[in-house]
Amino acid sequence: MRVLVVEDEKKTASFVRKALQAEGFAVDVCHNGDDALAAARVAPFDGIVLDIMLPGRDGLSVLRQLRERKNATPVLLLSARGEVNERVEGLNAGADDYLPKPFELAELIARVRALTRRSAENKSNILRVADLVLDTITHRAQRGGTDIELTAREYRLLEFLMRSTGRLCGRMMILEKVWDYDFDPGTNLVDVYIMRLREKIDADFEPKLLHTVRGSGYVLKERP
Amino acid sequence: MTIRTRLTLWYAGILTASLLLIGYGTYREIDEQLRHEHRREPVEHAISETSELVFQVGLPAVLLGLLGGWWLTRRALAPVKKLTDAATKIHERNLREPLPRTGNGDELDQLTKVFNDTLARLDDSFNRIREFTLHASHELKTPLTVLCGETETALRDESLSAAERDRAASLLDELRRLARIVDGLTLLAKADAGQVTLKLEPLRFDELVREAYADAQILAEPQGIRVELAGWEDIALPADRHRLRQLLLNLADNAVKYNQPRGRVTMHLRRANGAAEFTIANTGPGIPPESLPRIFDRFYRGDAAHSQTVEGSGLGLSIAQWIVSAHHGTIQIESAPSKLTTVTVRLPLGS
Repeated sequence: MRVLVVEDEKKTASFVRKALQAEGFAVDVCHNGDDALAAARVAPFDGIVLDIMLPGRDGLSVLRQLRERKNATPVLLLSARGEVNERVEGLNAGADDYLPKPFELAELIARVRALTRRSAENKSNILRVADLVLDTITHRAQRGGTDIELTAREYRLLEFLMRSTGRLCGRMMILEKVWDYDFDPGTNLVDVYIMRLREKIDADFEPKLLHTVRGSGYVLKERP
Repeated sequence: MTIRTRLTLWYAGILTASLLLIGYGTYREIDEQLRHEHRREPVEHAISETSELVFQVGLPAVLLGLLGGWWLTRRALAPVKKLTDAATKIHERNLREPLPRTGNGDELDQLTKVFNDTLARLDDSFNRIREFTLHASHELKTPLTVLCGETETALRDESLSAAERDRAASLLDELRRLARIVDGLTLLAKADAGQVTLKLEPLRFDELVREAYADAQILAEPQGIRVELAGWEDIALPADRHRLRQLLLNLADNAVKYNQPRGRVTMHLRRANGAAEFTIANTGPGIPPESLPRIFDRFYRGDAAHSQTVEGSGLGLSIAQWIVSAHHGTIQIESAPSKLTTVTVRLPLGS
């Protein structure tokens, strides 16, 4: 997987590159929009991390240029402006995802992963992790053949985690996908829901499936 | 006493004095004439002639003068009244709207001009402060991103000892708190500068309230706090969905955070006086009366908030207040130490 990171702030670019490399991505870095367009013309990327505020040609303009050239590489926009409408504006310009600064690295990685795997996403109606089974049509959850009662929100959380099996899910990402929040409410809502979900799917069963990644988020997988 | 009454009284005094003076002059003149003509009883005659003159001509003239004076002062002071009315409507938000000028260059027009210039300078200063906050919060984001990122990268290092990991994790917690404060500050600075536009759409307010109720129940569970929705009505109103959810979650979270173990939170939604009225009450420690007027101020933290070591950005209620006022609603808090604290939000139902 090859990712292009377009970020003028050198230090940010550097730790994003390191983090993505540590996750097994091949990473190219550009510090301005024109270089990014040139790079995207020469080599195919599986994803682009694009900062909106760039010297000269800004990120949105780069994105529009890319889409005009029929380049459909998935793009994750980064922005320090944090404008409420900016997200919509970015998505309208053809972005696939949007992350306001300051972001959590785990969040960024999770999103880049989701971005580059988008096409390979599990579209099946029956989701399975070990002996945990979720039917996305009847909303029925079972572990080891035992039915598990879930509230609507718990169901959505579990479905999201199961669709991202093995991938780290950051708090902000969960709030966005499960709660549809575009803001950080500063509550421990996610942690409390995860706790409850753990009670239901993990407490009486082995192996444990729902793991906490300290300081980053949660991941659902068979082995820790 | 108003300027107008004072002027009229002075004017009446002057007119009376002139009348007396004229009366005395007339009396002297008539007296002189009568003596010249060697008439008898000159004094009585002169007095009666004078008073006749004074009462029949002088008094009506004085009354007319007074009426005229009353009317004149009203005319002269009318622009002052207009100016006062306009000036009472001035506040931080509409400094840009100048007071109406007559444009005839008189003293009051000059005064209005000076006033408008002062307002413009004030507006400038306010704008500069707003811009400063906005730029400051933007500028803080880049180093914060780097700090968070580097700390997270450090936390991923497998060779870290447990103690080092703990330190890095606690550093990261504080950095994220800082990031939330900066986020809140950015939002408020943008709102101040009028750069945030709400996306209004017809919404079912009761659905959002029930959703916040469900979230509050979950948040309250670990502390054994009981949350109840005492009642609701089906209410639809035009609002920005995200901001309204933010408002409700913020209030619910506060009600749970600033509560006592095994306490209670009660929500209620109803229609009242053509508005949607949402109340949320909790059995918190209460807010002392001296803190109440400042409770919506940015970074204001009452004693209760300090002593409870509750983690927050200090901006939650300021943001809540902005969200409500952006929807043309009102928010108010009633509380007293060791009594129920009740927050009431009223939102217009729309046309």
